[in-house]
Amino acid sequence: MSTYTLSRGIQRAGRTAYKQGHKPGENPWSLSRMVALLVLAFLAATWLVPFAWAVLTSLKSEADAGASTLSLSPPDGFGFDAYRKVLSAGELPLWAWNSLLTSAAITLVTVATSALAGYAFSRVAFRGRRWLYGAIIAAIIIPPQLLIVPLFRQMLAFDLVDTYWGIILPQAFAPAMVLILKRFFDQIPVELEDAARVDGAHRLRVFWSIVLPLSRPILAAVAIFVFIGAWNNFLWPFIVTTDADLMTLPVGLQTVKSAYGLQYAQNMASAILAALPLVVVFLFFQRQIIKGIATTGFGGQ
Amino acid sequence: MPTAVDSPATAGLVVAGGNRMGAARARRDESLTGWAFAAPFALLFVLFLVVPAVYGLYLSFTGETLTGANGKLIGLANYSEALQDPDMWRSLGNTLWFTLLSTVPLVLLSLAFALLVNLGLPGRWLWRLSFFLPYLLASTVVVLFWSWMYNPKLGLINGVLAELGIAPVAWLQDPNVAMISVVVTTLWWTIGFNFLLYLAALQNIPEQQFEAAAIDGAGKWRQLFSIVVPQLAPTTALILTLQVLASLKVFDQIYMLTNGGPAGSTRSIVQYIYEAGFTGYRFGYSSAISYLFFAIIVLVSIAQYKLINRRSAP
Amino acid sequence: MTVFDRPLSRRRLLSGAAALAGGGLLLGCTPGAGDSASDLSYWHLMSGGDGIVMAGLVDAVNAMNAGFRAEQTVLAWGPPYYTKLAMASAGGRAPDLAVMHASRIAGYAPGGLLEPWDVDLLAEVGVRESDFPPLVWQKGVYDGKLYSIALDTHPFVLYYNTQHAEKAGVTDAIQAMNSPEAFVEVAAKLQRVTGKHGLSYGYLGDGSQMWRLFYTLYRQTGAEMKLVPGSPAQVDEAAAVKVLGFVRSLLNDTIATRSGDGGTATSEFLHGESGLFFGGVWELPVLKESKLPFDARPIPTLFGQQAAYADSHTFVLPRQSTVSPERRRHTYQLVAELLKRSVTWAGAGHIPAYQPVVTSTEYQQLKPQSHYVGIPAYVNYDPDVWFSGAGSDFHKYFAENVQNVYLGSGDPAAGFDGFVQRLNKLLDRPQPV
Repeated sequence: MSTYTLSRGIQRAGRTAYKQGHKPGENPWSLSRMVALLVLAFLAATWLVPFAWAVLTSLKSEADAGASTLSLSPPDGFGFDAYRKVLSAGELPLWAWNSLLTSAAITLVTVATSALAGYAFSRVAFRGRRWLYGAIIAAIIIPPQLLIVPLFRQMLAFDLVDTYWGIILPQAFAPAMVLILKRFFDQIPVELEDAARVDGAHRLRVFWSIVLPLSRPILAAVAIFVFIGAWNNFLWPFIVTTDADLMTLPVGLQTVKSAYGLQYAQNMASAILAALPLVVVFLFFQRQIIKGIATTGFGGQ
Repeated sequence: MPTAVDSPATAGLVVAGGNRMGAARARRDESLTGWAFAAPFALLFVLFLVVPAVYGLYLSFTGETLTGANGKLIGLANYSEALQDPDMWRSLGNTLWFTLLSTVPLVLLSLAFALLVNLGLPGRWLWRLSFFLPYLLASTVVVLFWSWMYNPKLGLINGVLAELGIAPVAWLQDPNVAMISVVVTTLWWTIGFNFLLYLAALQNIPEQQFEAAAIDGAGKWRQLFSIVVPQLAPTTALILTLQVLASLKVFDQIYMLTNGGPAGSTRSIVQYIYEAGFTGYRFGYSSAISYLFFAIIVLVSIAQYKLINRRSAP
Repeated sequence: MTVFDRPLSRRRLLSGAAALAGGGLLLGCTPGAGDSASDLSYWHLMSGGDGIVMAGLVDAVNAMNAGFRAEQTVLAWGPPYYTKLAMASAGGRAPDLAVMHASRIAGYAPGGLLEPWDVDLLAEVGVRESDFPPLVWQKGVYDGKLYSIALDTHPFVLYYNTQHAEKAGVTDAIQAMNSPEAFVEVAAKLQRVTGKHGLSYGYLGDGSQMWRLFYTLYRQTGAEMKLVPGSPAQVDEAAAVKVLGFVRSLLNDTIATRSGDGGTATSEFLHGESGLFFGGVWELPVLKESKLPFDARPIPTLFGQQAAYADSHTFVLPRQSTVSPERRRHTYQLVAELLKRSVTWAGAGHIPAYQPVVTSTEYQQLKPQSHYVGIPAYVNYDPDVWFSGAGSDFHKYFAENVQNVYLGSGDPAAGFDGFVQRLNKLLDRPQPV
């Protein structure tokens, strides 16, 4: 199944998913369906427990959070004390900003370079194309984790350790995304471009004004996928930054976790605050994000 | 591995005059254009993937350390040391064990979840949200949540067990349990992704197939095994491939939950690479282990490719 | 980052925003050499409460306008800190001054990553050997040269709940304990008062905590641990087995819980669920904040000889490719000023190393800090070897082999043997630095 038709399929499915209830000719309240509903409710509740427990802890006083009894009504009551403390320490907003800055830059560079390269592979017969394409496919199976040592030496040589660029550049390309985009461009009827080319429009012009507008959904999907990955990446930023002012959220939280031994409520408050941005974004763009993940996930075929 | 570029014929070039000189120039222009398009990506690709990969290979034949001392070529000494290093084998074993333990439920459970949600029961968006939400969290947040859940004395899990009169378990500190705990956390964290892929695939199965089967008198379970599972085969193959590769590369949650402990029982190979290089200061040795592990990944990839191709052969 | 260096981060935010908007080149400034002889770059690893105290010290020194400004860079504490410090020195991008644990000097001095301090120049700014406890000063000496100057000593001590002690009638016994049996007796009496545990000790999953207690008691037996690269570890197995057996007997779920990790132990003691607590002096701020009636003392001598485990934060000069004499002099002045003000550092529990501070009335009035001020006279650091020390894998290897012994499932002799074998393997290797 091609990515293009698949994404259209998903769109269709997404549209119908909300309307489609039970299958026709079925009793919507049959016993088996009730059992299934109970099972689902139980599973979903299980999946939400860690969130709920974290939120609950973050609203307790530090003394109550550290008490060894499970209580839903702590003696000190509930309040936003832990959040106040965490935010007044001033580090979380800075780390969130670093995360946003680096993730946005990574996404921008990745999508732009992948789209350009994907288009070249799809449409332009240039010398060395096969060779480069083969290299990119081979590179997909190289886990970036294996390159940490040589890459770190390299960043040291470029004097990029403890800089934003040091975080961004090594993450700012994704061979798999080039393939996904190439496959998508392959699906676009070539006639659409030919007309413009005959009129003497340059390739870049064609790409910009004809191909890109048609590719908005897939570009959004790739961007979402890359952004989530960059926002949550831990290992590379952890290696390349030591300066607390440059840390991204996941790395900063890890250091805070090791720095204070006994602040359960504050730990949970930091975790909730760090989780919040993506969760909120997800609630707003649920359908696009799900579509994007599904589309890009299938691109690896 | 497909290396041929199977794009549709390149756009018909409209070459005025059509003589050979013009054609040659057009070809050269075409080449220039192609490279211009591919250049930004190619530059990053070469700088941050090809160069470190080659440099790492060179490092693996040296005794290079953090300070650049002993940077002489020492042949295969690092490789032979790695092959005799019990900690290396242990980390590798842990990694394969983790891969097995995590992949099976991550494929089967995600399929079960997707089938359940696909029944069209009320509250669909809620189920989808619950299962997918953890996937949006950074590893650190996941670890903060779960360290707190697993806390031996104050954690929710042991608290609930105590209410039920069951003795507390040292989830992350007992060598027999720690890996299971890591797997449970991983399952909770990443199942949403596979679940979504299955859900999307399920919704692409044409309705008519079910109707035809229903007319033939096939029950729900029959339909599941004769229609749904075969139809999902490509998706299962894909999920399996992605999952195995992702599990082999595990680092974040283990490093932060147990730091590879207790007694090295959860240390993954990526963590061993990290430790050899960044806390043991032996860059050469660390690179050698990286390349041994890379060889394993290549083997696994080839095996998977062969399996999938054989299965999907008509 | 602390609240004190806001302007710096604001500048960074602006440059970041500008870069994002204009797509320009943003150079997140590299920590490292400052830009003039008066700007000194200073790296340290104090975060949390320690970080606030340290930032206050730096601000106070800068406010003197002594012709130089210290720019502090706070780095995350842990193995990455030492890796990056070594990298920076190796790459010639080192800061003018850095903080390092005393226990890590052995790994760095031989590799040429550190510059020795000039003792005459130190004397000029008012820092002399006679101002420090001999053992603490000696720890910074390597090959006859001084490589580190201690800011503090932070030992592993015994906290106790004074209210529970009174109830259990062990107030005097706590001061007089001098044998394993006496200790167990006190702990048992306290257990009867609390109804939960007598002692809190968080060790699960934390090799450093396991090592701190073990090494304190091991050295109390008079045993040594000598690690010389190229030859097998010299250890006293009988003493080790005795100590491991004792620790294990404490973790019987009555005297102390078997499943105690760091956070659990602290919170147990805080909530009055135990009467004794083995912890580092760095736990002090948390305990003080809680209004708990408590006091502290050195870990009692249970095996014959006075011994305590500790580490120190020390000042080192990372090797730089170019050094101006003027900058160097400023760096010496900075260290001297920090040392002279280090009484505020005692608030975080640490024992200042600079004796003129310790003998001041201001410090002597601090409770419970002054109750363990004698420790530096009989302090023990980790064995001197390149792979030991704070944040090193040494503690982790200890945990890997000994945790099961503490948990009660492993055999003490076998566990200790495993650890020694691991050490021997490392001793066989060439030093990487």
